[in-house]
Amino acid sequence: MKVHAAARTDLGLVRQNNEDNYYIDETIGLFIVADGMGGHASGEIASKMTVDIIRDCFKGSGKDKPFQTGPYQKDFSEATNRLASSIRLANLAVWEASGNRPELSGMGTTIAAVQVDGNRLSIAHVGDSRVYLIRAGNIEQLTDDHSLVYEQVKRDLITKEEASRSDMKNILTRALGISNDVEVDLAEMTLAVNDILLLCSDGLSGMVDDETILSVVMTIDDPAAACEKLIAMANANGGKDNITVVIARTEKISGFKWLFLNFRRFWR
Amino acid sequence: MATVMLKFKEAVIKEIPLEKETTTIGRKEDNDIHIENHAVSGHHARILREKDNFFIEDLGSLNGTFVNGFKITKQELFKGDSVLVGLHNLDFISEKVRPQDDKKSFTVRGRSMDETMVISPQDQKKILVARDKDIPEPLGGFYVLEGASDQREYELKERISTIGKEDGAAIRLKGFFTPKVAALVNRRKEGYFVTPAGGKAIKINGRDLNHRHDLKDGDIVEISGLKLQFYIKE
Repeated sequence: MKVHAAARTDLGLVRQNNEDNYYIDETIGLFIVADGMGGHASGEIASKMTVDIIRDCFKGSGKDKPFQTGPYQKDFSEATNRLASSIRLANLAVWEASGNRPELSGMGTTIAAVQVDGNRLSIAHVGDSRVYLIRAGNIEQLTDDHSLVYEQVKRDLITKEEASRSDMKNILTRALGISNDVEVDLAEMTLAVNDILLLCSDGLSGMVDDETILSVVMTIDDPAAACEKLIAMANANGGKDNITVVIARTEKISGFKWLFLNFRRFWR
Repeated sequence: MATVMLKFKEAVIKEIPLEKETTTIGRKEDNDIHIENHAVSGHHARILREKDNFFIEDLGSLNGTFVNGFKITKQELFKGDSVLVGLHNLDFISEKVRPQDDKKSFTVRGRSMDETMVISPQDQKKILVARDKDIPEPLGGFYVLEGASDQREYELKERISTIGKEDGAAIRLKGFFTPKVAALVNRRKEGYFVTPAGGKAIKINGRDLNHRHDLKDGDIVEISGLKLQFYIKE
């Protein structure tokens, strides 16, 4: 299985600067979205640091025995643990930077990261950036937002409709870089051919509902074009926040290419 | 007359009247307010008086001067302001109240309601008063009642599981005309549900399935020669 991906980010219509960052790598199957926060452009720094550190963790170690930040969770695979570990490392780095430089104090970021390894998918997230899976015409959110309204929905205090209108949507219950320790939510799944993964910041999910996202992704095959269409729709609905979208589609490797890849693996 | 209260953490050390045009603060002995602490620079900061107005000015100190938690270079002082120099606090006492429109130093980072912020777990508890217990997620799956399959029981742990012929399917179907994805089973906090993906007829409790169906304990699912019974563990 191979992955074909694209990403786009946009300032939106209200904000002065873009505090979102993303990273995509089709070869190692790594896809990341981070939504920074904090005054004086420090949000940009937090999200950029986080994305860079996670990327470097995967570039550096490759398939070697990974370093470990925080506990190794036996319930999850090595790939998932590496993802979690890299996020915890990024958390420490952002937290230390905000403590050392007063102008960066209080900065933080959300993170939504997935890694595709063969047909296994590792998912890790903190905050309200989301991961969706679109399969066979259905859309499912794979991550639970760490936001106050989502906690209220979980406890049946308010309904999903009330949540989408709430004026407390911007309050997060978890974020990276706020403390020296962070709880990272992890999950694993089996992927199939023609699955679509969509990662986004709340600039998209707050402006465009799930069903509309689904219809766009189902009608536009090209990931880059679909990203652009979704950003245009978020802006048409107000564009209140920075918008970042990553779309990754799994595809079958054609017969000859499959042979070639496996041949190379055999001789390695 | 304005004064400053020199404090170390909570302990008050002394009260100092601001009589002079310039009151200097630092570790060296020639300062008006002399603080013997290594976190304080030799000549750390000074308080300037212009008629009834007082200003705090940092003198290029190593660790910086903070007013109400914000690093400053020069700023006017008002009643209730707290100046942090090293580990010592200087509380500014005067009659002059900060004008209301100058909200900058009161609201955290001058936020609007649209900006994202994080709250601590303690504050979350205050807001999320009701039922602060962990909601257990349901765990369920299918027993195979009839038909040839690779397992007798399928426990469905993932958020979405596929029933079909495809490689990654949780419940793999055989047969020549079987679609790759015949149905999807979603696992959510509120329970499981099954959605047909088209191509092949699925029966739930003997009836054709055309749209999403919320699975209940004991439901019978029939699909391409397999008869499955849904179960849920508490």
